[in-house]
Amino acid sequence: MAVPSEAPGDLPEAAVRRFAEGAFTSGLTVPDFAACLQMGLEPVGFTQGYCVMQWQWYGSSPMGMGGGFGSQWGGIRGYSETWNCPHGFVSGEHRSWGQNYEQAWVEDAWTTGFSTAYDRMVEEAASGGAHGIVGVVDSVQPLSDMGVLEFRVQGTAVRVTDGVPPADGRPWTTYLAGQRLTKLVEAGYAPVSIAAAVSSVRVWANCVTHYLTEGSNSMFASATAGSEITQTVTAQTVARKIATHRVRSQLGHDSLHGAALSTVQRELGEGDAEVECVLRGNRVRRFKEFDPMPAPRPTVRML
Amino acid sequence: MTGTEPLGGDQGDSVDIKAEMRSAAEAIGKAPKPNTARMTSDLSIDEELVLHSIGWEPVELVSGVSMHSVPVGVWNWGQGEISYASAAYGRSFANATERIHDQCTKAGGHGVVGVHVEWTVERHHIDVALTGTAVRPVGAKSLGSDPIFVSDLSGRDFTLLHSAGWAPLGLAAGASFVYAPRRSMGDTMKQSGQNVELTNFTEAMYAARESAMERMQTSAINLGGSGVVEVKVTEGPMTFAHHAVGFTAYGTVVRLVADKHRNLGARMVLPMDDPTSTFDASSLRGA
Repeated sequence: MAVPSEAPGDLPEAAVRRFAEGAFTSGLTVPDFAACLQMGLEPVGFTQGYCVMQWQWYGSSPMGMGGGFGSQWGGIRGYSETWNCPHGFVSGEHRSWGQNYEQAWVEDAWTTGFSTAYDRMVEEAASGGAHGIVGVVDSVQPLSDMGVLEFRVQGTAVRVTDGVPPADGRPWTTYLAGQRLTKLVEAGYAPVSIAAAVSSVRVWANCVTHYLTEGSNSMFASATAGSEITQTVTAQTVARKIATHRVRSQLGHDSLHGAALSTVQRELGEGDAEVECVLRGNRVRRFKEFDPMPAPRPTVRML
Repeated sequence: MTGTEPLGGDQGDSVDIKAEMRSAAEAIGKAPKPNTARMTSDLSIDEELVLHSIGWEPVELVSGVSMHSVPVGVWNWGQGEISYASAAYGRSFANATERIHDQCTKAGGHGVVGVHVEWTVERHHIDVALTGTAVRPVGAKSLGSDPIFVSDLSGRDFTLLHSAGWAPLGLAAGASFVYAPRRSMGDTMKQSGQNVELTNFTEAMYAARESAMERMQTSAINLGGSGVVEVKVTEGPMTFAHHAVGFTAYGTVVRLVADKHRNLGARMVLPMDDPTSTFDASSLRGA
């Protein structure tokens, strides 16, 4: 296989050489490999993209928050909501002010890491003349114990037999492969790309959230113990909405299929918390009219 | 298709999968039709296809969250039910269900299927998060006359239930946390070194179970259901309170909506080979 002359200059030399050596590599299982061949997808190579990011929660500015200490009042981008204390001044230790705000610098760092790794994988596939990448797997994990995160995106680059190359030269991508991809296509959906987004919301608890989260029956807990912890619930709800909205904005007129929504809440003490939500899935485009599939036959196995 | 026909229809004609793949690849280079209805869904392709087979389609990914406080000290000292914790679970579940229901209504869904129920019991708060996919009959433009349902049944189970003439009505849940009283000093010494039943724990577990199951059943009756399917139960001690035991149960409330239960006509199959992975990509419309 010849390496296209327009192979990107920053592709590692070894990757260019590997693509030119004539034997394909693939991350597909044998059943997925066989199914891909059956549907006219020839493996080109196992492609990967990596990006290692230094992960400093408060960014590069003195106290971070995207613009220095205090910027949460004036410089926060996106969602922000204040939760005032209903009691007035009580004492210096009383949490008379609370806020939920979007941590845009965390989201930006995640998006940079993920999209850079993704772009590198796509670039590698394009340099090998691939039309698409199937069976994409991504992961985000700490690399050693240095406050460093490794973003990894990998998949198998394929070419459509007798198919036309992508108009913009950028291969399509999908988390699916094998029989699941076959079903998707037969159902009338074309895989466009994977879609992923993150949202991060910080809860700076006010007194009521503080008391409720610690189960306290303080005389200042205007909501009685056993009440709903509204500030944290709002943060959870908003984090999900932001991630969903962000992915929807990537879709255009396409749809999201096989989505996975994962939410992590880190409790930081005294009611403070950080909610991180990641939504990922397959962006798909309907390329033929809806054609109902045959009703499946229920069966009972005797074994 | 109205969705009321029994399953097991004609498999139709096979399609040329390679040609389909080429058409799909060509479509990616073209602009999508602007009037295409877009959806977001966490269903697998199998679930989506099986839903389509009875005339339903996914609309949007929806979720609902709630978290209630549990007062300090309730886990360690007392007797009988820890009512604050049981109520916190019940209210969290109810609020999360109401919120996912509202999101489904806004999205134009007629119900939610495949709801993932995530819940945690912490010392000072109980959290419930529900995430699922709103669905509707294919092309439906407005809400139907039937109430919107929330169900943790998978797309496949919803299809089977629907085809058998039943309908999901909602999620029912019940929980009970009970204090297992400490043994008297005399009992503790008498039982020391023996393999004997700790009746205080057994009784606490039974008490928690009965209350939780009853609450779930009451919730199902309030929804107008005739039963609950796919009930999931958990039971055991609290990691942070050794003398408290908990029992939780939730499931999907169902009711027969057809004149009578319809036989699905399932066929018995006796596989003659060892279990193997599916190897070839084959058309779902038969050979």
